[in-house]
Order: sequence, then structure tokens, then C-alpha cells
Amino acid sequence: MTDSFPSALTGPSSKERKYDRQLRLWAASGQQALEESRVLLVNSDGPIDKQKTTVSGVVGVETLKNLVLPGIGGFTIVDPASVTESDLGVNFFLEEQSLGKSRAEETCRLLKELNPDVEGTFSTTPIAELLQDTKFLPAFRLVLVSGPVKCSSLDLLCNASRELGIPVLYTHSVGFYSTFSLQLPAEFPIVETHPDPETTQDLRLANPWPELLEAGARVRDLDTLDDHQHGHVPYVLLLLHYLEQWKETHEGNVPSNYKEKTEFREMVRAGARTNNPEGGEENFDEAVAAVLKSLNPFSLRSNIREVFEMEECQKLRADSASFWVIASAVNAFYQMHRVLPLPGSLPDMKAQSADYISLQNIYKSKARKDLEEVTETVRRIEGSFGAKRSPIPEKEIEVFCKNAAHIKLIRGRNIPRIDRDVTVQSSVRMALGIPESLAPISIAFQILDAVVDQLQETGSTVASIDDNETWDKQTQRIIGVLKAEDPEYVDEEVEEQIKNATQELRRTKAGELHNISSLTGGLVAQEALKVLTRQYVPLDNTCIFDGVKSRSEMHRL
Amino acid sequence: MTRESYLKRSLGTTLSRRIKESRVLLVGAGGIGCELLKNLLLTGFGEIHIIDLDTIDLSNLNRQFLFRHEHIKKSKALVAKEVAQKFQPSTKLEAYHANIKDAQFNVDWFATFDIVFNALDNLDARRHVNRMCLAAGVPLIESGTTGFNGQVQVIKKGDTECYDCNSKEVPTTFPVCTIRSTPSQPIHCIVWAKSYLLPELFGTSEDETQDFDHSEDAENAAEIENLRKEAQALKDIRGSMGSEDFAEKVFNKVFMTDIERLRGMEDMWKSRQPPEPLDFATLQEQSGSVDNTISLNDQKVWNVTEDFVVFKDSLNRLSRRLKDLKEKTSEKDVSPILVFDKDDVDTLDFVAASANLRSAIFKIEPKSKFDIKQMAGNIIPAIATTNAMTAGLCVLQALKVLKDDLANAKMVFLERSGVRAINSDSLKAPNPNCPVCSVAQGRVFIDPTRATLNDLVRDVLRLQLGYGEEFSLSNEIGTIYDPDLEDNLPKTLSELGVKDESFITVVDEEDENPRVNLELVIRVSQKLDEPAATEEKKPVTLERVMDIPRKPKAATPPPTEQVNGTTAHEPVTGKRKREAEGELSNGYERVKRVASVAVGSGDGADPIVLDEADGGAILIDD
Repeated sequence: MTDSFPSALTGPSSKERKYDRQLRLWAASGQQALEESRVLLVNSDGPIDKQKTTVSGVVGVETLKNLVLPGIGGFTIVDPASVTESDLGVNFFLEEQSLGKSRAEETCRLLKELNPDVEGTFSTTPIAELLQDTKFLPAFRLVLVSGPVKCSSLDLLCNASRELGIPVLYTHSVGFYSTFSLQLPAEFPIVETHPDPETTQDLRLANPWPELLEAGARVRDLDTLDDHQHGHVPYVLLLLHYLEQWKETHEGNVPSNYKEKTEFREMVRAGARTNNPEGGEENFDEAVAAVLKSLNPFSLRSNIREVFEMEECQKLRADSASFWVIASAVNAFYQMHRVLPLPGSLPDMKAQSADYISLQNIYKSKARKDLEEVTETVRRIEGSFGAKRSPIPEKEIEVFCKNAAHIKLIRGRNIPRIDRDVTVQSSVRMALGIPESLAPISIAFQILDAVVDQLQETGSTVASIDDNETWDKQTQRIIGVLKAEDPEYVDEEVEEQIKNATQELRRTKAGELHNISSLTGGLVAQEALKVLTRQYVPLDNTCIFDGVKSRSEMHRL
Repeated sequence: MTRESYLKRSLGTTLSRRIKESRVLLVGAGGIGCELLKNLLLTGFGEIHIIDLDTIDLSNLNRQFLFRHEHIKKSKALVAKEVAQKFQPSTKLEAYHANIKDAQFNVDWFATFDIVFNALDNLDARRHVNRMCLAAGVPLIESGTTGFNGQVQVIKKGDTECYDCNSKEVPTTFPVCTIRSTPSQPIHCIVWAKSYLLPELFGTSEDETQDFDHSEDAENAAEIENLRKEAQALKDIRGSMGSEDFAEKVFNKVFMTDIERLRGMEDMWKSRQPPEPLDFATLQEQSGSVDNTISLNDQKVWNVTEDFVVFKDSLNRLSRRLKDLKEKTSEKDVSPILVFDKDDVDTLDFVAASANLRSAIFKIEPKSKFDIKQMAGNIIPAIATTNAMTAGLCVLQALKVLKDDLANAKMVFLERSGVRAINSDSLKAPNPNCPVCSVAQGRVFIDPTRATLNDLVRDVLRLQLGYGEEFSLSNEIGTIYDPDLEDNLPKTLSELGVKDESFITVVDEEDENPRVNLELVIRVSQKLDEPAATEEKKPVTLERVMDIPRKPKAATPPPTEQVNGTTAHEPVTGKRKREAEGELSNGYERVKRVASVAVGSGDGADPIVLDEADGGAILIDD
């Protein structure tokens, strides 16, 4: 997190101070991405039955609250509903005076109060109408939808978003249950995945470059060192030193299997001086602890191999996204050297500061050299497309090289619909097979969607959301769809679980509990932040929460 | 449709009524606290008391949504109440801008609540509330977050683990000599700037703050003596604060003279690279073109001349501030001081620049202000989303408690990734060896003018409760009695820091079948209230004689030395008999003991603590 602040932010430091605690999670680059984002919340789409029951949209407002606080650029709330008495009991961002007024306007006003840096607008026009203006949707980086929404509107919104590459989060929260799904663009690459620092160490001890080998060779005769020096040889150099000794008796190979590594570990351990009060040396302890994880020869992880093999990477076009251009250049680097560019970071270790810094410089300058090579390739590719491309910022190439081993590509899926998509059906069946699965809750919400759709499209003029006939019919229909291919997956017990889950939704007449919606708003906003900052790996693609069990589950549906 | 229609439908009428009739306490109005208050209000809780000692800071606004820019520096508890009340006028809200450890919040007060929620940011207060809730028999919902991770735990005396059933992480400490003479990492220089230089110049000096780990002092006696002299000389320079050459004097002292002296100690540098002193005049000359505003760039790693400029500038700012403060305080008040605060730019600039200058001297890698802030302030990343989830989980657990359904209440963990972001686990039974919850409890009334330690030890513990010879007593200030420590016996309990509503822990140290620890709550009898009683009443009386169970015979040895959170560094008041006689053979780890009883003014047996607030396994959101 040493990248400098974009100039727009350097002025008064109060903004950095306000966002200090989150900058430590996504740095200035993530914050800038947030501030450049506008979010659309479709918080209801008119009444869901013929009794004027409306989605109360608490989960939508709570999600937005968690995005306004960390400082997205702006938001728009689309909600044709007016504020009712029951809204006041469940929605914190409405007040006594809001009664009868536009809910979009009132929630927008109160949410804006949370953060003066965030701009907010609202509309009471239904989303389907707004979408007729083709300039409306492209203004947004993310779409949030509070379900249930009638099928036709959701389709319009999801299709348009997919075409524009805008991610969609579709959320339900009823009673003690909630669920949400994320629709990402067809290819959604994440460079800064923030893996666990433990797993990212790349010391290249088994594939050293000349300067590192040379540093290792300088540690020649450990026995001549005094106790202080002996106890302060950085463990990286210790390992290099003993590796050379090992190679002499092993035909130039490094220890490759568990047995050899264990032997090698004992060899290192035996080198420690124990005739001191501590009975050992910290740097040797560190070396011993690092043997198993640090001696593996470099191997390309499947996630990045997959990226290299994709057509987008193989066949660049003049308008290819910069991600693919860099990926292609890194692939060329890999084909040449059989390793990825070195990330260049060195963990803390027992050492004298001067030695540590000089070792650090060896890693840093190698990383810089690798970066230069990749940058050259990038420039050459850009050149081959003539003046059609503007150069990719060096910073972006650097971030890619630092994170290359942990890059992740998600292939976006649609918002899952059981009654339409056979692959969703089979993944739901799989999910049902897991013991104590929460999948029945997700199915129940799909039944709710179907109920709403029926009430809207064909229901009688008085049909209400607690209409038993409609519920029973849609429940049977969805269960029927799941059984059609293979009845075994939906036995009586599973059928009972699905029906029980629908009971919670029916009992509460699709009403929200503030506490569950607030919690779900936290979950949804967290995924929204990952998507907007393009940092951390987002949900792929459905999360289900059960408030009775205080447990959540992720499924790829 | 009415306001409560959604609630009644989802929760049912019985539970809704119980919620409405319940009275809950929310300790902490920070990140989790704001969310919790909102959720409790909209879940229909009838009466909510909220307490927080803190005031609102700019860095809170990215998640503590009840607060706005205009609320900065105001009380968190009071503003939270005022803002939230508007949204739910029917709920009874009570706010306290106070420390939960104040004596007014005693066990009886805790006992008036149905549930207590901990939304705290430090280990010490968490432990205190845990103990109070155990003593009062009130269920506690404990929670904490750090970055994307969070945790919620239900604690009920006798039924579940308590907060202290598992040992908590101990804060990192450094020996004095590493910090003062032989730093080798950036953190050593940062701690030096924050815990030595800044307090010596603007705060309470080292001798009074107990901020250093002196356990290795004996081995380094000569160097320690030198360091004391150095500190004294710095104190003398402090007198010239405000004069034109103040910065030069300070600089020359700590970055030149002291370094030259260190450099002269050749033994120290046989295998280490010796430090290179810095020269004021040279840097002054080189820094002519560097502007003060460099301090605004907290992402850049400053070079030495930039460090120099920020050092002078921040020293100036702090000097002026202290001068202003002094002018505003009258003679008889305590003299004002400045303390490090990670969000106070002046102290942060000073610590960052000083630490980097020292790093340059010792050839240690310099750090950016942004990174130094994190290292010095032990900053825990915090965002709204994690708090929202954690608070929601707290309320779900509270509903289980109100339904008397503890069997289905959970310990819940939030994680960034994984198949399930929210994982739960069944609550565990109390740890039979827990020094906090697996204890017997009793209440003792004392007459503060007459009651001596001896009265408690002899009359109550030996005669009434049947204790033998081997046991020890400790309270907030440390061990006040054990078989080797009899000097305190004639002292009054008041002299030993025993106050109304404070605790004394009795640890039975018999080898054979010892009793569980006994926790005594002290009540100071008010004479005026009970005029008749004083004549015959003994100075120390037990509320009632209770049966104290014996410790379970566990396979693991009883954790005698860590009892009551006592570490080897805990100060002991009074002089130990055996130690005085030179017998050091009974297996005790000998650490520095404190002979004086003046509370809080020992000679510093505590280690340097990076940020003692953050020692817990559950980390914090402030």
C-alpha cells in the first residue's frame, strides 16, 4: 500500500483521515475506484400483488448505506412506492414526516446525510420505463435490485446490464431468511485478490537468479562467524548455503520430495549453535520452518495458466482490455523464463539491518528488471496496433506483475432461475445433496418470485401475496421442474424442507425484519465493494443466509 | 398495517412482548454500537441504556453512521442517543458519557438488565464487563471485528464459556536496550519515538509511566544507568521549550550526542554496524528547498532532509500547543501534557519524522507516514459492512437468550472468504479451570477507616471460611498478600487500593485439593447509614458464609501463575520475605517487585506495550 494518492485526493488530508481505516483494506487505488462509481438501486417495481403490497426495500437501503459511508461517487434510487406506516417500523432511513411521501425521495435524502462527498438522486418511474432511455443504464458501475421483482422487469435489467458489462446484485430478505446472487460480466478478471500473505511468499530458492546465488555464495564458512553474526545470517541465505551443499551430493538437484526435504531440514537444524542460553538460534529456526514451503520449484498455478490459455489472451485485438494485453506480455515472459515476474517482497526475518536491506534490494531490483521486460513487451504489442491504443499506465503493469501468481478470472453467470436453466437445475440438485444444506431457502425465494409473477400477470383483481392457491401451485411447479430430470434428488424429506422454507416467507407475507435486512445489507455491500474496487474475490454467485441458524452458505448456481 | 406488523408476524406475539419489556445495556457506541442501537430499536427493544467514554473523531465517520461532521469531539453515547431517538420515539433511551469501569456501574446496576451487549474496543473493558456480568448473573453478548473478520459470543454464567475461559494474545513487548540502544527494525525506532521521545518532551516521562520492560535491567546495569542520565538531560532541555534553538538542542541531544556516546561503546558494535550521528547544520543547509507541506504526503517515504523538516515543524507545532494549554490551566491544576494519538496529525508527524531519523542513524529502512501510523497506532482496519453483519448476529443471539433457548445460541465467526462467510459453532461449557468464571463469589463489607488486610486474612478467610496457610490475595494493583508477603498485613485495605465495588481474588495455593478461586466483591459500609451497627461490628464482615468448592482434578496442571490474568510482570506490593532472605528456590519466576504501595507509581515492571488496548484475540473497532 505504498502507491501514492491520486492528485485529486492529496489536497486537504481530511478525506484520507476520514477513510483511513478502510484505506488499509483496499488502498488509494481501491478508494479511487469507489469514488468513480455510481450505483443504481432498484428498490421496488410497483406493488407485488393486487393488494398494493410493496417490497419494503430495507435490504436495499441498508446495502446502500454501507456503500455511501465508505464513499462511492454517487447513487440513484428507483422506487415508485410511497412511505407507509409499516415502512417506518422497519426502515431506519425514514422518519415520521416521511409518511405518504415518495420513498425514493425520502430514503435518498436521509442516505445523503451520511456522507456529504456522495451525490444522490432518485426516480419514482418504474425501472422498465427508465430503461427505454438507452443512456440511463451506462451511467452506472453496479446495479442493486431488491426482490421480488416481476420477471419481465428483471429480465430487461439483467440483459441490458450484461450487454454493458455492468454487474447486478439481486437480493431477497424475508423474515429470518435472505439470499442474493451476483451477475458478473462474461469475463471478470481480478488482479488484486489479496491472498493470505502466508501463501504469497515467492523466494525462488529453487530457481535462484545469478545475483541471489551470488549472495548465497558469500555465506561461505559459517563456522568462522562469531555468535552474533552466526545468529543473524538471514534465513534465506542460510537455505541457499545449505542447498548448495545438498546439491553437491545430489547430482545438482534440490530436495524434491517430502523425505528429501525432511532430511534437508535436519541438515539445516544441525547447523544451529545450541551452546547459548536460548539453546538455539532464531534465524535457524526460521530457516527450518521455511524448508517445506519455500523449496518448491516454480510451477504455474492453474488460475493463471487458464488466463494464458484463453482466446482473449492468445488473440489480442486493437480494442482488447489492458488486462489481456498485460496478460499476454506476462505469458510471453513466462514462455521465455518458465517463471512469472518476481513479486519482489521479502518477509521479515532475523538479520542485521544492513544485511536485510541488501537482500531486500536483490529481490527488489530483480522485480524491477522483470517489470521492465514485461513493460517492453506491452509497449511492443501496443506499437503493433499503431496509434489505436493509448499506452497502459506503468502502475497497472506493475500491479499485475506483483500479483501475477494470484490473479483470478471469474466467468460471470446469470442470476439463477430454476425454471429456465437446466444447468441451474443440476447445480441446485447438487446443492440439495449437501447435509443441512440451505439450498431449500434459495428455492423458496424462487417460488416467491414465481408467485409474484403469477399474481402480476394473471392473478385475479383481488389476489394477495398470501394467496394459498398460488403458493401451492408454484411450489408444486418448481419442485416438479427439479424432479423432471431426476426425481431421486428431491425425495420427500427435501420436498418437506422446501415447503417449510416457503412457510417462513408465507407466514411473514414477504415482509422484512430489520435486523436480518441490515445483516444482509452488510453481506451484499461487501460483495459490491469487491466488485467496485476490483479487489478481493467476489461471490460466485449465490449466498444464502439462515437467521435461525446464524449461518450462511455460498453456491455456484 | 401498523408499525410493528412486520415484527409481530416474524417474531410472534410472545417474543415481541418479551423484547418490548426487556431492558438492555449497550457498552460502546462505536462501529458495532451504532449498528446495534439501530437494530435494537427496530427490533422493538423497550429500554436501551448506552454507555461510551469516547468522543467522535473524523476517522469514525466512514462507518459510525449516527455521527456527522458537526458531531466531531462530542460524546458518542449522547449523540447516538439523540440521533437514534428521532427514528424511534417510543423507545426509552438512556445515555452515559462515562467509563463503564466507574464505581457507579456496580454489580447491582448490571443486575438490572436482561441482556448486556459488549461493543467495545479494548481487552481491559471487555474483561471488566465479562466479570461484572458473571457476578450479576446477566447474559452477555460479546462481539468484535477486525477488517473483514468478526466474532459474536454468548456468555452466561455457569452455562457457557466466559470471555476469559481462553487465554488471550499478549501484546508484543521489547526490552529497553533494544529500543534505546540497539534498534534493528523500523518498529524499534517507532516505539522509541512514540514511547520515549514524545513523552519525555511533552508528556509524562519514562520513570512515571511504567512503560518499559525492565526484566533484563540487571544484566545491563551500567547501560541502564547511562540511559537514565540521558533521559534526565533531555528533561533539562525540555525547560527551554519555546526558545528559538529548542529544536536544535533536542536534535543535537538525541540524534548526535546520545548517538556518539552509543557509538563509543565499542563492545556493542563488534558485530553490529555502529550508528552514524546526524548533523543539524548540514541538514539545515540541505533542507532549504524542502517545504513543510511534505508532511501531507503520507504515502511517500520521506528522505532524511524531509524527515528533518517535518521533525522541526511538528516539534514546533507541539511546543506551541503545549504552551497554549499551559496558559489556559491555572497553577494548582495538574500540568497539561500531550500524548500520542494516531489520529492527531501533530503527534503522528513528530513520531514519523523522529522514527525515520533514528532509522537513518541505525541504517534501518525508513517507512511512510501511512505505514508508521498503522504500526504506532496499532490500527485495526474497519468498515461498515463487517459491523453491520456483526451487529445483526448479536441481535439474533439476543433473541435466543430472550427465548431461554441458550441451547441453540451460537458462537458466530465472520470470515472474508470460504464456502460460508458466516460460520457458527455451538457454545462451549465453562472451562473448569477458568480463573474468572469458575470461581466462588462472595461479598464483604468493610469499614474503610479500620479494616486492615489482617482482618480480612485472619477473621474472614482463615476463621470463617477455613483457609489454611497457603493462599494469596490480589486486586487491581497486583498481589497484596501471599505467605511470603506479610508486610501489608497491618495496612488498611484502603491503603492497598481496595475501594467500594472493587474485587479481591483469593487463590488457594494448598498442594492438596485446593479450593477454586474466590472472588470477593468489596462493599464499603457507610457509617452514617447504619449508625447502630458500627459499635459491635467487626471492621470486615462477610455477607454470608458460603461453601467454596474444590478445584476439579484436571489432567492439566492448574495454571497457578497465570491466575487472574496475572503475568510474571504483575507488580507485587510489599517485600517478599523469602526473597529478602535470599531464598529463590520455590519455583517462582523472580521478577521485579515493588516495595512501595502507592498505586500506579512503581518503578516500571510493565513491559513496553505497543497498544495495550488491542491485546485480545477478538480485535477491535474503535
